[in-house]
Amino acid sequence: MLEIANLSVNYGRVRALDGVDLTIKGAGALHGIIGPNGAGKSTLLDAVTGRRAPSGGAVRYRGQDITRRSVAWRRRHGMARSFQRTSIFQDLTVREQLTLIARHLGDDRLGDVIDAMNLGDCLDEKAGRIAYGVQRRVDVALALIGRPDLLLMDEPGAGLSAEETLNLFLHLRDLVRERGMAAVVVEHDVDAVFACCDVVTVLDLGRHLATGTPAEIRADARVISAYLGSAA
Amino acid sequence: MSGGTSRAAARSGVLLGGGVSTRAPVTVLLAALIFALGAYAPTHFLSEFALRIGAGGLLLGILALSVAFLMSQAGLVALGAASVYGGVGYLFAICLSEWDLSPTAALLFAFVAVVVYSAALGALIVRTNPLAFMMLTLAAGEMISHSVMLEGLRDYTSGADGLVVNFKGAVFGMTSADFANATRFWPIAWSAAWGLGLAAFTVRRSRFGAILRAIRENEERMRFSGFGTYLPRLVAFVFVNAIAGVCGLLHVLNSGFVSPESLGLSVSTNALVAALIGGVAGSTGPIAGGVLFAVAQDQFGAHGFTQLLTGVAIVVFIVLLPRGVVGALLDAVRRSDRRGTG
Repeated sequence: MLEIANLSVNYGRVRALDGVDLTIKGAGALHGIIGPNGAGKSTLLDAVTGRRAPSGGAVRYRGQDITRRSVAWRRRHGMARSFQRTSIFQDLTVREQLTLIARHLGDDRLGDVIDAMNLGDCLDEKAGRIAYGVQRRVDVALALIGRPDLLLMDEPGAGLSAEETLNLFLHLRDLVRERGMAAVVVEHDVDAVFACCDVVTVLDLGRHLATGTPAEIRADARVISAYLGSAA
Repeated sequence: MSGGTSRAAARSGVLLGGGVSTRAPVTVLLAALIFALGAYAPTHFLSEFALRIGAGGLLLGILALSVAFLMSQAGLVALGAASVYGGVGYLFAICLSEWDLSPTAALLFAFVAVVVYSAALGALIVRTNPLAFMMLTLAAGEMISHSVMLEGLRDYTSGADGLVVNFKGAVFGMTSADFANATRFWPIAWSAAWGLGLAAFTVRRSRFGAILRAIRENEERMRFSGFGTYLPRLVAFVFVNAIAGVCGLLHVLNSGFVSPESLGLSVSTNALVAALIGGVAGSTGPIAGGVLFAVAQDQFGAHGFTQLLTGVAIVVFIVLLPRGVVGALLDAVRRSDRRGTG
């Protein structure tokens, strides 16, 4: 579904992402991306979703080179994302923002998204006034509208407790399988990633270190040395 | 995580609409009554001088409406409203005097020309950040203001002397003298304020209005939701300039004169201040702010301290009533409603 070929991103003289190759294959699979701070996880998501122009390499989505496509184009063609810092419309009600985007994307099954993210009780609340955990769910709901084929999430567990994060991941896993989409999740909480993701990729210092099942990654000597340490 | 209630609500269509308020017909009737009374009652009870001040206030209010709409809907402050307001007057005058167009054709040409100008300017500047946008509208306005003073254009613009606009025939059934008559012009200014206010209200309440507000609030999320954010901003910019254009045409028809002062920065800042005094969030606030500003200017002028008292009044209004006079009134009504129901 998604092929990332030799992707590089520079911030001035700093090379944040250095020739990363990665393939996201199956629908219904949750793909976790982990790595220490500064590994380039969020930069990778930014480059794939068009938020940041890559310095080199290519992004192919469903066989088509989309490296120069706009963010809006990617979204309209089934690539959605959520953000590390909740990115919702604070001054609109939950209903207003969900409806606005559902109409634009021609999604007439908005009720399914509301049910899936359990937002039925706060539809008429201004998003800025609801609890942070619910705001995170609104953020993911905004990304789920239009039934995207590929969902990319940047630290969906940011600001949540370990238990809340694990619950969110379990829910995401079910959702991804139920909807038959592919999802890529950047996350610091390694336990949640190993517990819920089908495939895990490790980045370190902007480079691709390893990709495999959680069991393979746990046992990978390079990953243990660079990131997991003795805790694995 | 599941819940059948929201699904059922969505299927029944409740999700997509807010329902019709039972107060709506009463509000419409009340508004129609106020409109009819306001259009004709003042012409019987107010002096010609008061009508002239009032009509000037309404025109300033319409200009303030254009500024306020862009502020509240798109988060952009424009300081170039005068360039459209005065520019359309100059174009109208030149069409009449130099090209011998009929008054109606001259009006249409001038209006279309400023809309095209707005679209071209907007295409260049709506992409920028709010501060840069404000400075660019100021720069564009100042360029136009100074261009009418250029020696090479003096044959067309008469430089600092300005142009007298005295057309033959009629525009929409009214002669040049009718427009200059305060009693006859008041209902026109009143109707224009209502019509343009209603247009702004309709756009604000439309899906397009919701898109604009969402872009203002979180442009990045809008792009990541599949929206282009450039075109809606451009359309909003053209829309508010069309309002300013209508306002400028009414002004020149009424005053029969257009001068470099009508293009000046003070016209733009007066409109901005009027919008802040009345409140930028709706259509009523800026228009009421325009009338208040015009009346206050007249009263302050009578005491000979116009600028000083205007400055004090602006500070007092903005500090004490940050949502403007209309916003404060609405807040008071809501508080009273809550006390009544609680």
